[in-house]
Amino acid sequence: MLRLWPLRQISRLQNAISLTQQACNKSSVPAPSPELVEVFVDDKQVFVEPGTTVLQACAAAGVEIPRFCYHDRLSIAGNCRMCLVEVERSAKPVASCAMPVMKGMKVKTDSPVTRKAREGVMEFLLVNHPLDCPICDQGGECDLQDQSMAFGSDRSRFTDNAFTGKRAVEDKNIGPLIKTIMTRCIHCTRCIRFASEIAGVEDLGTSGRGTEMQVGTYVEKMFKSEMSGNVIDLCPVGALTSKPYAFTARPWENRRIESVDVMDAVGSNIVVCMRSNEVMRILPRLNEDINEEWISDKTRFAYDGLKRQRLTTPFVRSGTGELVPADWESAFVKIAERVNATDGDLIAGVAGGQVDAEALIALKDMLNRLGSESVCTEEKFPMTNSGIDFRSNYIMNTTISGIEESDLILLVGTNPRLEAPLVNARIRKTWINSDLCVTVLGAPVDLSYDYQYLGDSFELLTDILNDKHPLAKGLKEASKPMIILGSAVLQGENSGAILDTVKSLSEKLRAGSEQEDWKVFNVLHTQANQVGALDLGYAPGVDAMKGSKPSVLFLLGADAGTVKREDLYENALVVYIGHHGDYGAQIADVVLPAAAYTEKDAVYVNTEGRAQIGRQAVSPPGMARQDWKIIRALSEMLGVTLPYDKLSDVRARLGEVSPTFNHAGQVEDAGFFNLSDSATVPRKESRPAVQPLSPALLSLRDFYMTDPISRASLTMAKCVQAVDDAEKNPYSKPEQS
Amino acid sequence: MATRSVQQGLKQVKPMLSVDRTEARRRVLNLYKAWYRQVPYVVKDFHIPVTVEQGRAKVREMFLKNKHVSDVRAIDMLVIKGQMDLVETANIWKQRNHIMMFFQDTVNPKPADFLSKFYEGQD
Amino acid sequence: MLSAVCKSLVSSTARQLRAFHRPAAACSDKLFVHRDEPNNNSETPFEFSAENIKRSEVIIANYPKGHEAAACIPLLDLAQRQNDGWLPISAMHRVAEMLKMPRMRVYEVATFYTMFNREPVGKYFVQICTTTPCMLGGVGSDVILEAIKENLGIGVGHTTDDNMFTLAEVECLGACVNAPMVQINDDYYEDLTVDDMHRILNDIKAGKKPKAGPQSGQNFRFASEPKTGLTSLTEPPTGPGFGVRADL
Repeated sequence: MLRLWPLRQISRLQNAISLTQQACNKSSVPAPSPELVEVFVDDKQVFVEPGTTVLQACAAAGVEIPRFCYHDRLSIAGNCRMCLVEVERSAKPVASCAMPVMKGMKVKTDSPVTRKAREGVMEFLLVNHPLDCPICDQGGECDLQDQSMAFGSDRSRFTDNAFTGKRAVEDKNIGPLIKTIMTRCIHCTRCIRFASEIAGVEDLGTSGRGTEMQVGTYVEKMFKSEMSGNVIDLCPVGALTSKPYAFTARPWENRRIESVDVMDAVGSNIVVCMRSNEVMRILPRLNEDINEEWISDKTRFAYDGLKRQRLTTPFVRSGTGELVPADWESAFVKIAERVNATDGDLIAGVAGGQVDAEALIALKDMLNRLGSESVCTEEKFPMTNSGIDFRSNYIMNTTISGIEESDLILLVGTNPRLEAPLVNARIRKTWINSDLCVTVLGAPVDLSYDYQYLGDSFELLTDILNDKHPLAKGLKEASKPMIILGSAVLQGENSGAILDTVKSLSEKLRAGSEQEDWKVFNVLHTQANQVGALDLGYAPGVDAMKGSKPSVLFLLGADAGTVKREDLYENALVVYIGHHGDYGAQIADVVLPAAAYTEKDAVYVNTEGRAQIGRQAVSPPGMARQDWKIIRALSEMLGVTLPYDKLSDVRARLGEVSPTFNHAGQVEDAGFFNLSDSATVPRKESRPAVQPLSPALLSLRDFYMTDPISRASLTMAKCVQAVDDAEKNPYSKPEQS
Repeated sequence: MATRSVQQGLKQVKPMLSVDRTEARRRVLNLYKAWYRQVPYVVKDFHIPVTVEQGRAKVREMFLKNKHVSDVRAIDMLVIKGQMDLVETANIWKQRNHIMMFFQDTVNPKPADFLSKFYEGQD
Repeated sequence: MLSAVCKSLVSSTARQLRAFHRPAAACSDKLFVHRDEPNNNSETPFEFSAENIKRSEVIIANYPKGHEAAACIPLLDLAQRQNDGWLPISAMHRVAEMLKMPRMRVYEVATFYTMFNREPVGKYFVQICTTTPCMLGGVGSDVILEAIKENLGIGVGHTTDDNMFTLAEVECLGACVNAPMVQINDDYYEDLTVDDMHRILNDIKAGKKPKAGPQSGQNFRFASEPKTGLTSLTEPPTGPGFGVRADL
């Protein structure tokens, strides 16, 4: 944070241990609640806490003050002057966003002085703002437009006598995602504050001053952040707009459908903007518990992948080995012939990470009816000790908003910045606002906050567990420690040892903690519905399935390439059910086109174990159908008709299997901590994990393309290219800190 | 000659046009004849790829479709509708495709069970 | 009748005057984005001399720990002085590195202050003040500016071919009582006349160092005292306790 970073430098002592001690010492006593201050807003009495601003007091009184530079989640700049209000016995109108309340303050939000001040500010802003609303992408959702209608003068006094034109500013090239038209900039500096405070990338700033002031990067370089797209939403005018969305739609033409993101396991709440059965753009939706009001760039911009590489018709592999378009019936018949001739044990199913819970339960029910128990997810999770028997073993127990209470975080083998950008943003927020101390076991990646890097070897973990490492003391003394275990390190050999050690350590900390219900152990998944699959009883990892050499294999959106032809019975029938022509469709004998996440009403369970409902925005393309319906229809052809015809029936079935699905949007608390802990037997002589505790995603380049949708996305490909180009740009080199 | 019971029944329900089955039958036959005579003109006026014989057969088919109707009021209603159709046809208020609708193959019924709905792509 | 016409004329003029007249935007001749040049890019060699490293350490030590960024302006100044009066981008990078600041924050400072030259300047950087007091005082800055242009054969913002002089028009340098004035590198030349200006520039060209301060325009006065002698503060300053009640 701009204001805080020097202070941060002071407190950045050499090791985490002393820091946590400090934090422990002072965090125990809660500050006494201060007396409320009485303020009159338009003669209406309100009581607010001292230190709140006039603007917030007005909001408490139900009066919205117009503003450009002020934003709830950013520091206060006070430079747009739009929020001027008259305060009694004050010589001049005051900028309400930056003025703290005082006792008995009388604020007039609609007096002639206030109105005139607003009109004046608006007039000055418009003097140099181009009149290009008809060709501006912000038109219709522009703060300047709205506020000039509401608070501006009803006529213009602007005459350009000298025909010199308005101020013009050169456009900046800051990457393939954000289009800049800097002449429209009103210098609110929201983007700059977002970049330095939330994103932690100090790339944006102002250069020059007065008329010559411009917002930009000064040198030409890409705004390299995994959540850069949020500046588009923040920009109150059309200076920063979305490059992929440019000139495609107007906000009033779009229908907004509230949905859930599947690009990572955070489950960000999104709004899908749809027009004429096409996804036009994706915007964030406020959810304080998950994504606040930000989303990552992959969430926001990968939607063009929904229109490319799509499977629109069933395919059946012909005798010559080519996939030939077919109709649903013949595809089903082809599957039924084989399945009916196959023993139930030799049928298996593999589900990918983005598959919705409805499809998962349908596939599992169908295979169970066919006599197979072999359903698994592509992503692995160790099955040692209590494995996935207890829900608390595989979810993020403290929840994302719980990060804000924590005072020490140990990241094990995860790079949250790329695996779950919003979790990382939450950690950064906490790190800025409190004495949070972050330590990392894994790779020394750029996390946008300072952390203490311990190393990447497994021995360090056992050392911490056995009190041989100095951090062990710090963890013990922390009042609310958190251990976040990345799912990437659980994919390798001997990952059970890692899980066991982390579990034992967490259990030790939890048992020793004074905080009764503080849960230390957290798993950060990378796949949108991995937790949902585990909740529904899918076995993690394909190894067991490979062992049985199945002869009929159902790939349900499994595109990670974990199963190969060689792993299967000779001439096995592979059925792929999914929406993109990616890895899974390549090895399949029968391809059944399904719906992507914007095309179905579906439930996803995020890494916290929070079931959330995504809504259908558009209809599936061509002959594609919703996943669970495909399986339901297929089950009828296979003679094991599933007992649900309607979505509500499937949901009811989900609720039978796991209570998680009964309360969408809520975190279902994982209980049985004591039980699951006692089931964890620390290994006497744990075999050291062979590979280092390194996360899968190391650089921003890896972030953009991780799943079938983003791999098919042109925008994401451009991002990868831009990052590659930035490597060659001397100004984009990471700065020493 | 209406019997007592018929008269009683007619007291309860107001007749639409015909008071008894004989009269209704006469009306139906009259309508049939009118259609029968109109068919050659229809074929000519609308330029439809149908012969006069086929047209007459279709008229007969349409009449026979309702042969099970025995309620006098219902018969009257059908006659009225047939009359309206005839007028619309004779005045060429109808268009070609409206006539051809009579010759259209049977329309598929809306799918009812899950599997056929699935194939149709309907929810 | 005539008065009515007059009245309507006046009122229509008044209406006209209500309109918002905007002067032509006064634009700086500087660019506020960086463009790589052969002599100004990230590869341009810049390193503080050993002497200046020591100075910078002293400067940084002036500020409390954690607030090293406060030394940004002095360090940029130091870099500019060392680098012939201008700041290549590599120097900004070096300062950012020394102060552990993000580079953008240093760019912000360097572009905000006009006294940091982000492109090469001549050995003598002539800054003439053309703000109102200088424009009106003495012979006026207009003629001085003309004299400089004539003497050096360059326009405002230009550098002579031999890289000796760069001429810049600047806003008030705070020597209004001695108007008109120019600043050449660190020296102020005040109370100028056209002849003074030519003399000063010719002296510099000849390798001599002209005397800084007030020139012949006010008869080489010492500072900013009036030509006719002091009209106030003529007696020696009073000692402590002046005007204080005797019983205190």
